[in-house]
Amino acid sequence: MTFDLNLTLSDLLLMLPELWVTVWICVVLCVDFLMPRMSQRAIAGLSVAGMGVALGFLLWYYIEGTNGVLFKGMFVLDRLALFFKILVVGVSLLVLLSSIDYVSRFSFFKSEYYFLVMMAALGMMFMSSANDLLSVFITVEFSTFGFYVLVAYLRDDLRSSEAGLKFFILGVFAAALLAYGTSLVYGETGTFIFPTIAQGMAHMTPGLVVGWLMIFAALGFKIGTVPLHSWIPDTYQGAPTPITAFLSIAPKGAAFAILLRMFFSTLAAFKPQWVWLMIGVAMLSMLYGNIVAIAQRNIKRLLAYSGIAQIGNILIGMAAGTRMGADAVLFYLLTYLFANLGAFAVVIAFSQTTNSDEIEDYSGLNRRSPFLAFAMLVFLLSLAGVPPLAGFIGKLYLFVAAIKEGLYTLIVVGLISIVISLYYYLVVVKKMYISEPADPTPIKVSGVLQSVIYVGLAGTLILGIYPRPFIEYTVAATTIFSHLGAVPVVTTLP
Amino acid sequence: MTEHYLLGVILFAPFVGAAVLATPWVSNRHPLLVRQLAAFFAGISFCASFYLLFAFDWQKGGYQFQQKYVWSEQLGIQFYIGVDGIGVPMVLASSILLFAGVFISWHIKDRTKEFYAFLLILAGATIGVYMSLDLFFLYFFYEMSVIPMYPLLGVWGSHTKGYLETTNADEWERPDAPRFILNFARNSKEYAAMKLTLFLSAGAVVALLGILLIYKASGLNTFEIPVLAEKAHFEGTLATIIWLLCFFGFASIAPLWPLHSWSPVGHAAAPAATSMLHAGVLMKLGHFSIIRTCFQILPDTTRDLMPIAAVLCIFSILYGGYVAYYARDTKYVIGYSSSSHMGYVFLGMAALDYISLSGAILYMFAHALATGMLFAMAGWVYDQTHTRDIPSLGGLVAKMPFVAGCFLVACMASIGMPGTVNFVAEVMIVLGSWAKYPVQTVIAVLGIVLTMAYLFRMMRGVFYGQLSELGHHAHDAEAFVDRVPLLIMIFSSITFGLLPGRMLDVIRSGVNPILARIMEVAPVVTQTGSGLLP
Repeated sequence: MTFDLNLTLSDLLLMLPELWVTVWICVVLCVDFLMPRMSQRAIAGLSVAGMGVALGFLLWYYIEGTNGVLFKGMFVLDRLALFFKILVVGVSLLVLLSSIDYVSRFSFFKSEYYFLVMMAALGMMFMSSANDLLSVFITVEFSTFGFYVLVAYLRDDLRSSEAGLKFFILGVFAAALLAYGTSLVYGETGTFIFPTIAQGMAHMTPGLVVGWLMIFAALGFKIGTVPLHSWIPDTYQGAPTPITAFLSIAPKGAAFAILLRMFFSTLAAFKPQWVWLMIGVAMLSMLYGNIVAIAQRNIKRLLAYSGIAQIGNILIGMAAGTRMGADAVLFYLLTYLFANLGAFAVVIAFSQTTNSDEIEDYSGLNRRSPFLAFAMLVFLLSLAGVPPLAGFIGKLYLFVAAIKEGLYTLIVVGLISIVISLYYYLVVVKKMYISEPADPTPIKVSGVLQSVIYVGLAGTLILGIYPRPFIEYTVAATTIFSHLGAVPVVTTLP
Repeated sequence: MTEHYLLGVILFAPFVGAAVLATPWVSNRHPLLVRQLAAFFAGISFCASFYLLFAFDWQKGGYQFQQKYVWSEQLGIQFYIGVDGIGVPMVLASSILLFAGVFISWHIKDRTKEFYAFLLILAGATIGVYMSLDLFFLYFFYEMSVIPMYPLLGVWGSHTKGYLETTNADEWERPDAPRFILNFARNSKEYAAMKLTLFLSAGAVVALLGILLIYKASGLNTFEIPVLAEKAHFEGTLATIIWLLCFFGFASIAPLWPLHSWSPVGHAAAPAATSMLHAGVLMKLGHFSIIRTCFQILPDTTRDLMPIAAVLCIFSILYGGYVAYYARDTKYVIGYSSSSHMGYVFLGMAALDYISLSGAILYMFAHALATGMLFAMAGWVYDQTHTRDIPSLGGLVAKMPFVAGCFLVACMASIGMPGTVNFVAEVMIVLGSWAKYPVQTVIAVLGIVLTMAYLFRMMRGVFYGQLSELGHHAHDAEAFVDRVPLLIMIFSSITFGLLPGRMLDVIRSGVNPILARIMEVAPVVTQTGSGLLP
């Protein structure tokens, strides 16, 4: 196998956002070294500006409709990649913003924190474009690398160290699985690149089955589906809250980019085999996540288990295996982004004043800060899937995609899990609204956090009430899956 | 022009009101402003829906004042609202109760702003269901109306008597434990709120499965009710499954007998205005949605399976009435009486007869007013005496003659006294279902006697006899804002009772095409004006 790197400069333009972020990461790091007196807020502003520019590039590409392939198909830039890059960069922007107040809790390396967040974001941007088993391996490890450090960033907190260690050991284990699975698939097909792998697989051999299962397991670790979820609650609880928020969305989104490419393009011919895997994993995640969440006393753990259940919901769309399923996955990720980030922003704001993440301490939040309580109410109900909020449309989209494929059992489990999840979300609502506060001092929310929460509220409400442009946006992103069956259009328009 | 936007105005006024209240510029420090704003937006709906009743062209029939916007092509969803003859009275009832409810809650001091915002969302969503001609939005508003009940009950509600005695203070430490929902603290408002929300949500997802099956099996890629009613055909086991899912899913809110247990608990815990809306219009969402899904989309299956409702409704009527007679708590009496009276609606629907179905729709309207009044007055008595326990009350007529008088009228209306709209509706149900279900009809008439027994028992216990200690400091409803809601409801009940003509014409124009499809005969063309016969 030979590589020739005859690139023109214009080819590299396809990677402009990534190159820009790379340069900017170095700038941020250098500024921090060279100007030690610069406050961490200024560094934060610098990072936010850099990511903002990257977002601008991505939006420009999206409007222009730029697409192309680099490095013999290892790096692909299409609508799907752009969708996930925008998602990742948008999330990291919000995470950077919500970190500004939180960073004061760290004893050392305050400014490197921003560097690491941006580095993880860069890795996930590459993940969205990975179209090749090798680049999948490299990018996944690249993005996880930053997280290993970030999760353990609260050095004096034992929980944070525990979280870091647990995340690291299991993460390395997943990396080993990914590497071994990759080698098996390569051994069977003789190629790494997704489209050519598809041509090389006439039928499933045992080696291929084991190889793909291992790759799925490694990515399942990233998204946190049930048999591979065990790191999630402890890591979420121990990690600094902005990092928990980041972990709960961005890597999952980027991993779904790879999963979609893998299962919907490369393995599309083997859908009858893998659909059972998806159905099983989805059901287990929904039931396990929701049932165990009932017993949680810590809001971060509650959100961790609810996150496992939400991933189970998204896998309904994967199980559908149609283009509509892919649309639903993308749309649900959007709804999940706003609600989940918003909920974590509330958790950050709450713990800034009270230094607590226990649900018991949320008692009477409505009296202490009506804004926070209302925002949390909206986010939790959106996660539960209550109209007119975004989560409801997301769930309905998934159900409609699944029922068109006749996945009745999966839908029944999904509907049951909605009711179960409503219970534990309402318990938090009960604390916030019904219980009286032990300490009635008002909670102040800083302007930056407030703006993050407003973004979450706006997203949750707009996606719920007027989702049409967003649905069209996701549909445009999944054109590469049009071979899976065209999207039917309403026959009875006025 | 007005025709085009009329429904939009009725529907969105409460939501706009809730949004205005939610803005930071409206503060709890100015509760009067909050109340006035709520009254203003509720008033818009109230006036517009009266206009709707008279603007609706019953001779033309069908769906009127339609508004239709594409909401999502991919999912085949349209924002499609419109009313037919069965929608109009329910929209009217909802907005009357909302308007009255705003005044009934005038004295709520704790977090006024949040209370009115949730109340407006609840009522707006209820109105939304009665207008939706798209199954998606039917469900959308349906679920949306259930959720505000949780904070409304939990925050502004009240515990039932006996709550403190049965609650062990040590155990009370962990009220979030799962066993809490199963058997602990049965009389607390938290329990009631959680039970109600989960029960209704569970019912809603069952119905959602039915709706999704309709969507899938019709193959039309649309949720639009008129299109589905016209073009979709379901047969055999599939039709039965869909029908059962939709029927029992929606019947849980109605509440049909084995699914009723959330209802009295919820009524008892809720604040007065919420009970009014809840018993008055929220429960009717069940019947209404059954008509929209089962009756309109699955007419053949409805003909085969509706006897199920005819059997179960008898249990509703008798069981509800029996428990109401022995209940000590005023709101439990009214709550069980509501469950019992909803059985009449099911009887009227089950008979599949023009007169009885029209009667059932009218009864929904009538019951909304009657039970709204009862709950409003029970709430007033509770606010004044801080108890709802009938044996500890008594003789309040001396302290609150106006409320006692209104209560008497409300009882009469609830029993179905001639002159109130309930009488017209009851007579129609009984006349219409006599031919098909004589046994049930006889039992239903006995149920009216039962109603009389428990309502008079409550009336005597609360207002007559010796004045109890708790009543010494009670006041009558003297202020204008306190009397307005009661007078509005009494006035509506009696006006439509004496002059039911227009309302019946409107209802018949909605009922006739639906029943005609079920009975597989050409729709009856109504030439003459008012009258009981079609």
